[in-house]
Amino acid sequence: MANESWKPSIIGFMCNWCSYAGADLAGTSRIQYSPEIRIIRVLCSGRVDPKWIIKAFLKGADGVIVLGCHFGDCHYITGNYQAEKKIKATQEILEMAGLEKERLYLDWVSAAEGMRFAKLVDQFTDKIRKLGPLKLDDEKRKKLTAALLTVSNDKVRWVVGREFSIIKDGNAFGEKLAPYEFHEQVKSIIKDNLKKSLIMAVLKSGPKTVREIASELRESESEILKQLVDLMRLDKVEMGEVKDRNPLFALKGE
Amino acid sequence: MGADSEEKRVGVFICHCGLNIAAVVDVKKVAEWVRKLPHVVFVRENIYTCSETGQAQIYQDIKEHKLNRVVVASCSPRMHEPTFQKVLEKAGLNPFLFEMANIREQCSWVHERDKESATLKAFDLIRASVSKVVRDEPVEKIRQEVKKEALVIGGGVAGMNAALLLANAGIKTHLVEKDPSIGGHMAMLDKTFPTLDCSICILGPKMVEVGKHPNINLITYAEVIDVEGEVGNFRVKVRKKPRYVDVDKCVACGDCAEKCPVKLPDEFNRGMTIRKAIYIQLPQAVPAAYLIEEEHCLRLKTLKKGGKEVCGLCLKACERDAINFDDKEEIIELNVGAVIIATGFEIYDPSQEPKYGYRRFPNVVTQLDFERILNADGPTKGELRRPSDNKPIKSIAFIQCVGSRNEREKGAGRYCSRVCCMITAKQAFMIKEHEPDVEVYVYYIDMRTAGKGFEEFYQRGRKEGITFLRGKPGKIEEDPETHNLILVAEDMDTGVLLENEVDMVVLATGLRPPQGLVELAQKFHLSRSEDGFLMEAHPKLRPAETPIDGVYLAGCVQFPKDIPDSVAQAGNAAANALGLLSKDYIEMTPLHPVIDLEKCIGCSLCEINCPYKAIRVVKTEKGKKAEVIEIACKGCGVCGASCPEGAIEMKYYSDKGIEAMIDALLEKKEVEV
Repeated sequence: MANESWKPSIIGFMCNWCSYAGADLAGTSRIQYSPEIRIIRVLCSGRVDPKWIIKAFLKGADGVIVLGCHFGDCHYITGNYQAEKKIKATQEILEMAGLEKERLYLDWVSAAEGMRFAKLVDQFTDKIRKLGPLKLDDEKRKKLTAALLTVSNDKVRWVVGREFSIIKDGNAFGEKLAPYEFHEQVKSIIKDNLKKSLIMAVLKSGPKTVREIASELRESESEILKQLVDLMRLDKVEMGEVKDRNPLFALKGE
Repeated sequence: MGADSEEKRVGVFICHCGLNIAAVVDVKKVAEWVRKLPHVVFVRENIYTCSETGQAQIYQDIKEHKLNRVVVASCSPRMHEPTFQKVLEKAGLNPFLFEMANIREQCSWVHERDKESATLKAFDLIRASVSKVVRDEPVEKIRQEVKKEALVIGGGVAGMNAALLLANAGIKTHLVEKDPSIGGHMAMLDKTFPTLDCSICILGPKMVEVGKHPNINLITYAEVIDVEGEVGNFRVKVRKKPRYVDVDKCVACGDCAEKCPVKLPDEFNRGMTIRKAIYIQLPQAVPAAYLIEEEHCLRLKTLKKGGKEVCGLCLKACERDAINFDDKEEIIELNVGAVIIATGFEIYDPSQEPKYGYRRFPNVVTQLDFERILNADGPTKGELRRPSDNKPIKSIAFIQCVGSRNEREKGAGRYCSRVCCMITAKQAFMIKEHEPDVEVYVYYIDMRTAGKGFEEFYQRGRKEGITFLRGKPGKIEEDPETHNLILVAEDMDTGVLLENEVDMVVLATGLRPPQGLVELAQKFHLSRSEDGFLMEAHPKLRPAETPIDGVYLAGCVQFPKDIPDSVAQAGNAAANALGLLSKDYIEMTPLHPVIDLEKCIGCSLCEINCPYKAIRVVKTEKGKKAEVIEIACKGCGVCGASCPEGAIEMKYYSDKGIEAMIDALLEKKEVEV
């Protein structure tokens, strides 16, 4: 399906202390790997904002790979744990939005693992080659826009940012939650938010009725209505004129 | 003139690196393409950009072409970023108006067989760097005054040595010890391996020196309760428990303890002797003074319950009027530039593993218990007698690796505790020295005797007739009448099942992270290794430093080690602290976050997640807002990546900078190879 001349666009985020150094070591050891990856250096994998990742896809990246230090090795003590939560959540958002979460990959490479670095990059490039180009059609653009809204949402960012510390130290009442338990809550918040974001992404092209939104998102009308009521309460959507006895909903301020 | 309004004049220097880059990347072509990029006003190819002439060229070109941004495309920034940043500084530019494109390690060297792709990639990387550099903003240096005092936490052999080194160098040093006396575990040892020095004889003079040193402020019976601040300026709160005995008046005559009616097990002799509620921790204690233990003293207990002033026998016995029942807890506030943590270890508690019968069978003891039995000040006055009936010992068995190299038992360590093999060798040797006829068996998995003179010492023990058996007893049973112990183990060398009855068993207990280490680590934002001990900044090159500037490690708090290694690490920690404290100011360029106060809602997610306490939420006129402590920030950017409101922007690794790179890397190329 991919044509001969197509070469995947891959963005790599590497942390300065481990994976970027591992990439340098691959260089000094002259370990050859696929040339498609374009590396951006950050100080810590925990610095990688999910917004960047979604924006990279929206700009035409076919794959994004984030490599950090192994657990316990992080130069910033816990940055890689934070990265894990963020990237995992971003993968889940992609999946919930109906996109291929395999296009986003997270792993760990130490400064001493030049060989491993090259292997992971090759494996990831191969995987993206097999998946083919992302092909940003209207449908995907809409989904990615919704994903961007979701990773930018304050509530989502709060729970994802809080996940590591809550599991480690417990909540404000000193209660410790099992990781899976808390993560289920995180996921439900993300899911709820993504639904709202998808509606907002759909409304970007103009006011629509509940039925129109529901058919575009392949959701039940009652679910869409529920979310719309929420969105109106949050002051993001407003009810406008009535079309064929059905009210039109529009993004507020647009 | 603001950074935005000024015209961006970017100079790009593309390195051939001899043939390292030029043999793969078509540098000429890349240079041509780069010339067409927006803001690029000057492009130069160099054979070696990092050479003296290459650097001088950059300097000249900055001046001549009025460059205000520089991109060097060459090797990894991990290699030469500081080199070129210095050139910029010399030329009067802020060193952060600079980017490097890594076209060697991450391009020419790894795509040697695909020159076309490598050339395109090199251009992409440079284009991304140009895109970022025009968005970079200057990062200013900040200065932090260095408070020229030090704090050492833990008064064992490591902490004492660190404190003495600092104090001798003229640094006012506070030494905080949780026990009533300094000395730590080493003071409890009888002899030290492999030289068999008397432990307290070599430690005692050091303890006295610490106690008398004019530059050391000794705070015993105390603990750190709160830490604020950062390198150069830590503010530490210490809680000093009341002793109820005036240390200056007490001459440690012991008349008080003779009269005291409350009998308690003496911790120093591992509970094998009795002490009173008014007691001295050890005969050589520093400070050499008694203290009253609040929770056990009759008078203090009754007073606490609102009762009358009862007992008071010690008060009457003390001729020097040293006893003061009105003594109060004290909170001491210290302000120091550097902190050394030397809180040591604790012994693994083998009663967690019922198969050994520790605490159930009186004649099963730990190495530390046995150390006291061997000691002339111990429960048996140094005679080899066993606890159950005080009978002389005729046979004894040691079991190695109790609580070490154990993945199954909760609370045990997977690691080797390093010292237990040699302690056993030493104790077995001491037994043979006391009573050559005693049968000594050592059940082991491996004998690990790496260290100066250690293997020789172990071999000497073998020649003395100590029996070493490879194999650990699965269980210890006690003969209820004789209190003798029966061990069954498979001798791994012969495959024979051996049953052995001995008078006494010594468990070679491993070393564990001490109680309260988790809390202490949290106070200083230190991380712990998988084993629970504190983690060093680098396992090879920075073994006494921590990821937190100005906080250093000495002794077993980092990992189990013997006395010479602890002392050596204390020296390393003290040297590092001295290096810091010798400066009046420290200068740093933290790539810290900048808070948009309009957007910040004071949710404190950044404060919770910051591993360095470098950001905190404070009350302002506009409500709760985040505040950055620039000097403490390491620039990781976790706060920026998670701020729910998007109110945090990082210096240098900024959102706009990184997003510009993403855009540049994914832009359609209008070039042809």
